[in-house]
Amino acid sequence: MADNSNDPVALWQNMIGEMEKGFNSFANKAMESPEFSKVVNQVGGATAGAQKQLGDLMEKYLVGMNLPSRAQMVSMAERLQSIEGQLNEIKALLYQVHQNSGAPGGGPAAAPKPPRTKRPPSPGGEQK
Amino acid sequence: MNPAAGLDLQSIPDRIQSEVQRAIQRSIKGVEYISSSGPLLGSTPKDILHVRGTMNLYHYRPISDEIYRVPILIVMATTNRGYILDMVPGQSFIEFLLRRGYDVYMLDWTAPKPEEKSLRMEDYVLDFIPDCVSRVQRDSGETDVTVIGYCFGGVLSLLYGSIFADGPMKNLICFTTPVDFREMKLFQNFSDKRYFDVDRLIDSVGNVPPEMILSSFEMLRPASRAASQVQLWENIWNDEYVKSYRMFDRWATDTLPLAGEYFRSITKDLMWDNKLYTDTMSVGGRPADISRITVPILHAVAEHDHIVPYDAAKPLIQKIGSADKEEVILKGGHVSLVAGANAIKRLWPKLDSWLGGRST
Repeated sequence: MADNSNDPVALWQNMIGEMEKGFNSFANKAMESPEFSKVVNQVGGATAGAQKQLGDLMEKYLVGMNLPSRAQMVSMAERLQSIEGQLNEIKALLYQVHQNSGAPGGGPAAAPKPPRTKRPPSPGGEQK
Repeated sequence: MNPAAGLDLQSIPDRIQSEVQRAIQRSIKGVEYISSSGPLLGSTPKDILHVRGTMNLYHYRPISDEIYRVPILIVMATTNRGYILDMVPGQSFIEFLLRRGYDVYMLDWTAPKPEEKSLRMEDYVLDFIPDCVSRVQRDSGETDVTVIGYCFGGVLSLLYGSIFADGPMKNLICFTTPVDFREMKLFQNFSDKRYFDVDRLIDSVGNVPPEMILSSFEMLRPASRAASQVQLWENIWNDEYVKSYRMFDRWATDTLPLAGEYFRSITKDLMWDNKLYTDTMSVGGRPADISRITVPILHAVAEHDHIVPYDAAKPLIQKIGSADKEEVILKGGHVSLVAGANAIKRLWPKLDSWLGGRST
């Protein structure tokens, strides 16, 4: 095995790895304390509440400026998603129609299913 | 060689030349990295069998001349996308299963819409999974189904299996599935009942935003993102490393929001009251005691799993009612257990050797 003890690149990589482990371990210890949970949840709770209030205010402002709000953009994205969803459903239905018709030349979806007869390879035997 | 220093003086010019070349490659590839998109993920040919809200059921097209009788339904974790199991050809669990002759279906999730904030645990366990199972039965023409659950997909599969203990699940495979939520110590602390007001959060945001889920995962290893970016820069001359980094980074940051009511139930029933471990869990008023599950089960856990520590996953095999049960502890972490070079060598062949004989 190559001796990397004097390789500056290997030493650098090793140092980064060790720093990562050390910092993660230190941070995990700190995060196990109830004080950490208290602070994070106080800040997180306040942030979530403030974000909600700010969002409501911004919505009113954008309506006043005759600009689309985030909710309206999200609603448009949802409509697009819904159209995509309907396309997927049509695809799924077409797939089923192909399956049921068994028509030849119907593309890969209409290909006959392989038989369900596979057995596991015997011990020491080759995989089929 | 200088024996005192252990340094090969003759190799120094070669080493300097190699490092200069790498530095040049880093600059060129760095620009390429920024201006190009990552590899195409989840490209194994599949048909969408059914889509309903956040639920998607795929059927992967068989590639063997002959397949096992019992189809597989993979239940993905609700926080992440299913393409972790179908990265790129040659590194795809799905492709591996298809090549080994399995008929594979996947229950994958998309982001729940704002109006889906009221989805509850009941919707997942008593509606989505049974609906998918019956569609798999109809499509395959088989009554028996093998269920594979990854992470929280494993928890949903356990709840489903314990409520529908009389069938049609024939085999159950869980990957890194927590049962004793007290042992998920950091998540426990993040959701400490004294300080975490889950009702206030859900009532104000509706669905839990993906950024919040991602930060809670990243907080478990706060230095790892920065360290991985340093490592990326060092290895940016290496195309294989960059490809792998992009695949996993894209997946890890592609976190899904969680439906509000569903998250409320996870927090209260599992994180706070640990009901799965204490055999007091119920879904929609129906008891979900995992000792009622008697089908053959394989539980694969990772030695260095920082998301689901081994102590949280260990009780699954102890508590399950099956006589035919096995736990395998493999090297790796929460993700490398199921995807990447580690999984190709370890988990996938193990799963094939366990499942083949139970799929006829």
